[in-house]
Amino acid sequence: MKNKPTTARLQGLIACHFCHTLSEFPKVTENTKKGELRCPCCQSIIHSRIPDSLNRTWALLIAAIILYVPANTLPIMTVILWGNGQPDTILSGVIHLFDGGMWPLALLIFIASIFIPILKLIILVGLLLSVQLKSTWKPKDRTILYRITEFIGRWSMVDVFVIAILVALVQFGNTASVSPGLGALSFAAVIILTMFAAHTFDPRLIWDIIDDQIGNEKD
Amino acid sequence: MLECSNMKLIEHSNQNQQVESLSHLACAHCDLIQSLPKMKLGETARCIRCNNVLYRNQKNSLNRSLAFAITGLILFVISNLFPLLSLKAMGLTQEGTLFATSLSLLQADRPFLGLLIFLTTIVFPLTTLLGTIYVLIQVKMNRINKYTAPLFRFLRSTDVWGMLEIFMLAVLVSVVKLGDLADVIFGVSLYSFCLLILSLSLLSSSLNPHDVWNKLRIVKGCQL
Ligand SMILES: [Zn+2]
Ligand SMILES: [Zn+2]
Repeated sequence: MKNKPTTARLQGLIACHFCHTLSEFPKVTENTKKGELRCPCCQSIIHSRIPDSLNRTWALLIAAIILYVPANTLPIMTVILWGNGQPDTILSGVIHLFDGGMWPLALLIFIASIFIPILKLIILVGLLLSVQLKSTWKPKDRTILYRITEFIGRWSMVDVFVIAILVALVQFGNTASVSPGLGALSFAAVIILTMFAAHTFDPRLIWDIIDDQIGNEKD
Repeated sequence: MLECSNMKLIEHSNQNQQVESLSHLACAHCDLIQSLPKMKLGETARCIRCNNVLYRNQKNSLNRSLAFAITGLILFVISNLFPLLSLKAMGLTQEGTLFATSLSLLQADRPFLGLLIFLTTIVFPLTTLLGTIYVLIQVKMNRINKYTAPLFRFLRSTDVWGMLEIFMLAVLVSVVKLGDLADVIFGVSLYSFCLLILSLSLLSSSLNPHDVWNKLRIVKGCQL
């Protein structure tokens, strides 16, 4: 019997996130305490969909958006040269690099520290809204957008590492030193929160809407 | 926790050795159940609906990964022994090691940043290397115990938090940034660090998690 393409959820199966074993969803849910299921093969906790995915992703995203403000307005580091301190925000740092003729570097930091975080926030908010509004618009493209955010998000950490390296290396007392600012801490928090947000978002929710619609049309 | 008896495995008579013991799997990104085609070595199966990678059929995945992980571990130790970069200015030389990077943030009253750098550049890369070596040796010698699966699961889920390749990019950015102001001297560790990044990326591209899970599954009597 060849049946039509189907999903694990419609078949009453749960796929293990780690070992990919497909297990049958227990029919009697009254007996299960707290609803925690484990993969029979690798004992990891399995769920058909990430529990409370939308709410948790929203919470992490909103926290990231709030912290995005201090991350961009507070100085990420202060360069002290001959006793004079010059605080730099993310944007002013990029502008200084550009003015100094180091435009490839300016471009790199611009992409990693400004473009990618904003893009990531926009994509994740868009994905959440599209799922909540039950959109059926280009599910494949939205899944690819999700994979891109999941993949590139960590590269924004490059600026945080640069600050750390500068702080460690430029230690010449009052003549030259670099001190990290609160902006760097907020920026790092934004990256971590968006990484967690991308991790809690379940892309299968995008496809559930489409699968359910196809199912309804058949009935 | 639920007893295994409540969750019967779907039966498959397929004992095909070509694609190990996996015959059907659900796409992690769209949940579509698909059967794996017969794959040649080096081929990758992708989801027909969302293009997500379903399965990579790699050659000699376990042996090669073990070799890269051991090489990586040796290089990681060397990279931590000597300075990565030194800065020469006004007759003074300041040396910077990998560990000093997190330490300097701690001293600059940014303990959380320091901890974050410490975790992403030292703790997670080291656990990945040590853990992978441990799991792969256990799998190869058929000495799997009840900690093998949880350990491998932990390694898979903390994979993204090891950020040495991003740190490498940051080193290059710093060299260019500082080049104007002072003499930057490349340390001994910088070379081993470059090789470390190479072996880590070879490790992640050669390690096929399915190969490990298939072994763990067979031992537990969970054939698909
Ligand atoms: Zn499992
Ligand atoms: Zn898919």
